[in-house]
Amino acid sequence: MASLFSLRGLSRQPLLSGVASSVTHTSMAPIRLLSTTTTLLSKAAKRAKAAKIGVTPRRNKGHQRSEFYARVKILKQNLFSPAPPPLRMARLRYLRHWTIHRAWLLFRRQQKEATHKERVRINAGMFNACEELRKVSGPGDRSEGYLYRVAMEKKGVWGLNAVPIEYARFQTDSPATTAWNHDWKR
Amino acid sequence: MSRCQSVARPLARQLQQRSVQQCLAIRSFNTTSSQLNAAASAAPVAEPTPLDLDPNTVLPEFEDALIKAGKMPVGSRRRRVALRSNPNSLPFEQLPYQAFQEARKILAADREQKVAKIKEEVEKIARVEAVEDSQFRGGPKMKATRLASLRKYVEELKIKADVNDPIVKKRFEDGLGDMNKPIYRYYAEKKWRSYDQRLITQRISQFHIVPDIIPKLVPTADVQLYFRKAKVAPGEIVDSIVSENPPRLRVQLFNPGERLVTVVVVDPDVPDVENDAFFKRCHYIAANIPLSPTDTSLPLSKIKGDDQLALPWLPAVAQKGSPYHRMAIFLLEQLPGERVDVAKVKELYASRDKFSLKSFQSKFRVRPFGFNMFRSVWDENTAAVMARHGLPGADIELRTARVHSLKGPVKLRGWEAKRQGPKYRQLWKYTKRIRGLSNARGWTKRK
Repeated sequence: MASLFSLRGLSRQPLLSGVASSVTHTSMAPIRLLSTTTTLLSKAAKRAKAAKIGVTPRRNKGHQRSEFYARVKILKQNLFSPAPPPLRMARLRYLRHWTIHRAWLLFRRQQKEATHKERVRINAGMFNACEELRKVSGPGDRSEGYLYRVAMEKKGVWGLNAVPIEYARFQTDSPATTAWNHDWKR
Repeated sequence: MSRCQSVARPLARQLQQRSVQQCLAIRSFNTTSSQLNAAASAAPVAEPTPLDLDPNTVLPEFEDALIKAGKMPVGSRRRRVALRSNPNSLPFEQLPYQAFQEARKILAADREQKVAKIKEEVEKIARVEAVEDSQFRGGPKMKATRLASLRKYVEELKIKADVNDPIVKKRFEDGLGDMNKPIYRYYAEKKWRSYDQRLITQRISQFHIVPDIIPKLVPTADVQLYFRKAKVAPGEIVDSIVSENPPRLRVQLFNPGERLVTVVVVDPDVPDVENDAFFKRCHYIAANIPLSPTDTSLPLSKIKGDDQLALPWLPAVAQKGSPYHRMAIFLLEQLPGERVDVAKVKELYASRDKFSLKSFQSKFRVRPFGFNMFRSVWDENTAAVMARHGLPGADIELRTARVHSLKGPVKLRGWEAKRQGPKYRQLWKYTKRIRGLSNARGWTKRK
């Protein structure tokens, strides 16, 4: 459940503007979705009258609101509002809450450890591949480690006239149908 | 009946009963009503049912009997009544909340992993132990280090296996934890460190226990002080009639095993009038007291053995006019398997004055691990207590000697002060207001 705390700023501005816009658009037939009272109706009638006479409706005159007004207001409200109240639970409910919380922490830790392990494995695979390249000699009459040196080249990656790293491969609209062609031979 | 009324009605009934009882109490000055009172107190005690003998469901009127029988009631009275009304409810761990049950599954799987790990480590320890000292890589020293670190890891794993169990947590909060098990000791230590340990270390530093009595003190056990059933906060000023009898200590140890302990109570603030100084007086020494994490109560009045009690309790008294006396209670751990020679202690410290805890520590090879303290000042009962125990000095009031400044008097400053001499006779009517000496109404400083 979203707390009242986080929803505090949301209620005012969009709602009012929505009402105003709906009124201006459908001034003669106002929508009465949920309300059973005549307030909206009467307001709309007044607006219509004002429009007919040629008087603009009274706005907050003097300062023009910026386009970020609503967002800034919400930010300010959430920045300077007091902290949300502490959770209040009876004892057993608290214990259940605690259990779930501990399980959640444990689960996240397990996930994190698994990800880390996988990354270490991938990194080690890269390292081993590079090591193989370094030891092998060729192609043709190339000396030992030639392939490694070529693989480690970073031409055009750094410097003023650098090419962004994204362009290290051909730019395509969609990924390749076969990610790696294992049968490729020079 | 509205919800509000339904809540308030039992409360109102309670209050009515209270007021009736109060009336009785007020009338108890009357000679006739004492019988009535007794009848009123005797009336509600009925025959205890089996539910009343169970610490989980005992009603308030049977609590005392149960406590006397050695069983502490569990939880709040409200909870006990709730349990009573619904005796065969589901146990906590089977409550049908989906998230809760899923969480328990995750935790159980983790626990199984930890237990498997413990088994593995124990086997590893056995394997390391089987290797001979000379054969081990790095020699016997390395082997000892390896074994110690493995054992430490196993202890850690034991705690980690149980630390997520809600039942264990619940049992600890109910005070039913078995202190022989590492997890409950872990919880107890965590709780102690969260407040009481900080408080006691603050008292040690703010009352200057550390340089004044011993050079170093790091408390590692929870020591609480009780006088006449009431807990005394560390550093509290205790009435001399209350501290006339020895206190009871509640000691919670956090490391396993039984050990022998020495208790020493020192007052470092005894005024030494001849030398214009203070000296330390020993108020109590008892040694060879067995303690373990499971037995926590240590009543100083119950220690009477010939090989235990060296110096009996001397009441804490402060002479009139002397500053407050710090009464520091130290718990010192003896070396494993070693006993303190109490006869020697008696002989050495027969006169309690000019006691030095540091020298005691080095003489008997003990190490301080627990600390608590209270304070005593002169109050209306002190004279009577001193008379009862034959302590001299109740008829003397000490006064602090006034220490005068060694600097000379300050020369007066300001325009007026400079123009006091006969040379400025014509200005005298304007030079009456001298700062610190006089004002418009006249001379303010006393001569």
